[in-house]
Amino acid sequence: MKNLLYSIVVLTFTVTSIFAQVDRTKAPQAAPAPKIQIGDYTKFELANGLKVFVVENHRLPRVSYSISLIFDPETEGANTGIGSVTSELIGTGTKTRTKDQINEEVDFIAASLSANSEGIYASSLKKHTEKLLDVFADVTMNSVFKNEELEKIRTQSLSGIAANKDDPNSISANVSSALTYGKSHPYGEFETESSIKNISLDMCSQYYQKYFNPNIAYLAIVGDINPAEAKKLIEKYFGKWKKGIVKSPTYLKPQPPKFTVVAIVDRPQSVQSVINISYPVDINIGSPDFIKTRVTNTILGGGIFRLFLNLREKHAFTYGAYSNFNYDPIIGNFKASTSVRNAVTDSAVGEILYEMKRLREEPVQESELKMVKNYMMGNFALSLESPQTIASFAINTERYKLPKDFYSTYLKRIEAITPSEVQETAKKYILPDQSEILVVGKASEIAEKLKKYSKDGKLGYYDVDANPYDPSQKGKTLPVGVTAQSILKQYVEAIGGIANISKVKDLTMKGKVSVQGMALSMNIVYKFPGKYLSEIVMNGQTVQKQVLNDGKGKISGMQGAKDLLGPELEKIKMEAEIVPELKYESLGYKTELKEISQVSGKDAYMIEVTSPSKAITVDYFSVETGLKVKSITEQDSPTGKISQVTELLEFTEVNGLKFPNKMKQSAGPQTFEVSVDEIIINTDVKDEIFN
Amino acid sequence: MKKVKTLLLLGFLLFISGSGSFAQSGKIEFKEFDLKNGLHVILHQNNSTPTVAINLMYHVGSKNEKSDRTGFAHFFEHLMFEGSENIDRGAYFKYVQNAGGNNNASTSFDVTQYYEVLPSNQLELGLWLESERMLHLRIDSTGIETQRKVVKEERKQSLENRPYGRLLPEVFSNSFKVHPYRWMPIGEAQYIDQARNSEFMDFYKHFYVPENAVLVIAGDIQIEALTIMVKKYFEDIPNGNHEIFRPKEKEPLQTSEIKVNAYDKVQLPVVLYAYHIPAMGTPDSYSLDMLQKWMAGGKSSQLYKSLVDQQQIAMQVGAIPFSLEDAGLFIAYGFANLGKKAEDLDAAINTEIEKAKASNISDSDFQKIKNQIENDFYSRNSTMQGISSTLANFYIYFKNTNLINTEIQKYQQITKEDIKRVANQYLKPENRLVLYYLPESFKK
Repeated sequence: MKNLLYSIVVLTFTVTSIFAQVDRTKAPQAAPAPKIQIGDYTKFELANGLKVFVVENHRLPRVSYSISLIFDPETEGANTGIGSVTSELIGTGTKTRTKDQINEEVDFIAASLSANSEGIYASSLKKHTEKLLDVFADVTMNSVFKNEELEKIRTQSLSGIAANKDDPNSISANVSSALTYGKSHPYGEFETESSIKNISLDMCSQYYQKYFNPNIAYLAIVGDINPAEAKKLIEKYFGKWKKGIVKSPTYLKPQPPKFTVVAIVDRPQSVQSVINISYPVDINIGSPDFIKTRVTNTILGGGIFRLFLNLREKHAFTYGAYSNFNYDPIIGNFKASTSVRNAVTDSAVGEILYEMKRLREEPVQESELKMVKNYMMGNFALSLESPQTIASFAINTERYKLPKDFYSTYLKRIEAITPSEVQETAKKYILPDQSEILVVGKASEIAEKLKKYSKDGKLGYYDVDANPYDPSQKGKTLPVGVTAQSILKQYVEAIGGIANISKVKDLTMKGKVSVQGMALSMNIVYKFPGKYLSEIVMNGQTVQKQVLNDGKGKISGMQGAKDLLGPELEKIKMEAEIVPELKYESLGYKTELKEISQVSGKDAYMIEVTSPSKAITVDYFSVETGLKVKSITEQDSPTGKISQVTELLEFTEVNGLKFPNKMKQSAGPQTFEVSVDEIIINTDVKDEIFN
Repeated sequence: MKKVKTLLLLGFLLFISGSGSFAQSGKIEFKEFDLKNGLHVILHQNNSTPTVAINLMYHVGSKNEKSDRTGFAHFFEHLMFEGSENIDRGAYFKYVQNAGGNNNASTSFDVTQYYEVLPSNQLELGLWLESERMLHLRIDSTGIETQRKVVKEERKQSLENRPYGRLLPEVFSNSFKVHPYRWMPIGEAQYIDQARNSEFMDFYKHFYVPENAVLVIAGDIQIEALTIMVKKYFEDIPNGNHEIFRPKEKEPLQTSEIKVNAYDKVQLPVVLYAYHIPAMGTPDSYSLDMLQKWMAGGKSSQLYKSLVDQQQIAMQVGAIPFSLEDAGLFIAYGFANLGKKAEDLDAAINTEIEKAKASNISDSDFQKIKNQIENDFYSRNSTMQGISSTLANFYIYFKNTNLINTEIQKYQQITKEDIKRVANQYLKPENRLVLYYLPESFKK
């Protein structure tokens, strides 16, 4: 009996625990699919042509208003940026409000209000909605632009452009758009320093007059508001908005390149290459192939799919790799992109191209296609959580004249796509042999190996403004903000700073000069201010002696002696300084930063110095150390002018100051090597030696 | 289409927001309970769209790391996608995508969170996936080697190859000398290379235990049925039954201003102040949030008006009350306009801060601040994923999930005088780091 009871207890216990047991070895089955319902919207149009779409959603006590201006943009050319500068001007004043009033009104109700070149957006809590509409409608319809504000925006934009010159992703986006669409297409243009400088107030006012018009505007209202309420408010605030005339320009359709080409933007500090493979594609949401291209792209790189799994999970080249089609009624594009370490840049390009080709050549497995479809369908459902999605569906339906059931049949149409349709689509739209491959990275480590992907074996070099250049001819682009003054200042600091320099009262330097196997000894003495002696001795005999004292210069040697005058006197006066650069300004020397070039394989700033008597010296300062590494001067010689090149090497420190231990000089066919044996400072040098 | 200016700001702010600020919302109903193993569960039902968000937050972040293993918690987050006894390497992503969902994870100074957003009929799959990796994660050396390289690329992408990438590491390493907040969640690359494979399992066994986690599920659910299902998948996972390692270091009071110059390949100097402030959830941290709104909330704020609009010395300015579990930093910064000097920008920011400390807040400004707080409170949590994350945060940090509904009261108690007091109490030179983040060409 007892045992029986025990068994029952055990049995019961066991049963319960079996019941609760999970089969962990298999993924659980999905529950029946929920019904996907696309939320409703209401649309109406004002007499002035403003089209309004209302999506009512009471989850949050907020309402947002978003105006999209639908027009075909014009090429802005040398004035690129008019649209974006105009959008910055919106909010800086209307016929009846000052900028401060607008900002104060918007911030007081904690609203947001912002414009871009193709629209304007505002949102706030429901209880402030009418106050918001009052300002929003005012800046949309009645903005007045002032020069003072334009100048502020110009300064900001120039700063922004400067900052983005160091950002590899901005560089890649700009240059890639120029390569994909061409610089003469509005989609291939981007703002540069010079284009921003060209923009005038008139251009902005015209842009505003031309495009901020109700007849090309779609207004989406989303949130805690019903259609009747919305209609009343919009009639009230936008009823008076005046129509305008907007003409569409015509463009040449950008075409993919005839064969794949490789372009590079050299960014020497890069530790990672930003890779972008792209070409223009003539496709938009209303195109018959829209859904097919979406499915095809998703397989390739529209999530954690082929590109990601290959480049990240298999090869560990990158943190992520993706691709997408951009759908646009004028011209769209395809883009595959990733960022990888320098050493695997070429392999990563190879793997992307391989995946693009594979999609064309092999039919996709049913199971993989099924997963991609599931992913897309699930994400479609997830996107419906946001009422903004419903608004964009409504606007797309109207704008692209889509069939009424376009979105309600969306899932069915994804479901129906077959592997052979994917392959056909890939053959038509995935073009590994007609791509622009752009890499922003460290050319010296990556360029050579990228050549193999270019059909003609060539690399196109571009600067950050997408201008092509020949790397063997042209110096590197100078960083913004670096000037001749800043480099000279940095040089002074690099050799030890003004404090240490000013402590030097006299300086004696002893060394050797070797010329064609002959050894000469060299002795140079400085006493500040203004006393200088340089002597070159061979076998105890003075070969050449130069002296500066009391503003007078003399040279003597085996050929006799003479006074130094004019440019020669000017020159010895500079030689009598340890840091002649410190005297440039007071003595009227002009300096100009020319470019970054290379000295012994390292980057150096090249500065041209013009003396008051117009003698030119070109000095090179190391980008890395700030020190002067090379100098070129023009010398008169019996055969005319020849340039004398001095390279400064092996710096050592004495009393906190850096001096080159070696100098290599060449003038015409002659070369000298100077090596310094000793530098001594402040030994109380007597004045008499300079007599 | 042709915007240039915003990119920079966004990059900077995104990076900052990656680490643990929290949101508020209107009335959010929820049920919460503990499983026998100590796992805390929070369920929020909202059947308006057939979507569900699963958020599993572990109370471990970079501050739980050893100083010779920085970056470990984040690296480990990557390993959590490697597989389990029943999930093959690489299959984790496949299950989620095949179900039509999205998933991801993030690691901050204080917590690591994992989430899935799924169509609601796939909810059980999400529970299986998360419970699998909590119960018996499986990692092999191939996975570890792969992720070592992947994380190095992540580090380059977010830090080394990006202008201003070292800005925040400079802020934290100079502001904190003792507390583990002195290193960033991304850590230093070499430590992950030095780690032995067994260390990863030790870390897992120590921190990835049910009693150190909170599971939040929000969206199209039925509370009763889901409660049973959650128990089915999670109740059998053994608890760790040990004390979880939490850093004990107390950052000593800073007594004199710290000045640091850092150099990068950038064009515009940045001047940044970081003041020590109390940890999140303290009364003063709410006052400091309001101070931030007063000083830098919008284009009508004094900092923007003076520096960007009137003086045009800065391209951008901002202030961020950066509150963490053990301590916080109040950050004020400006990007200099082209050709403007860091020293001048510094002086200008300082002047505005001193002005703010000296002035009294007007009634209208105080109302503006309150409106901004109210706006934030009612506007966040627009998605199930957002709500689940907020609920998880409030539980982990304060063991008070209902703050999602009541936190606004904490702000309502703050007076104008409180804001002025915290400004004067914390925004003192001796309490701050002054960081000049300069173009490399300025280097001496």
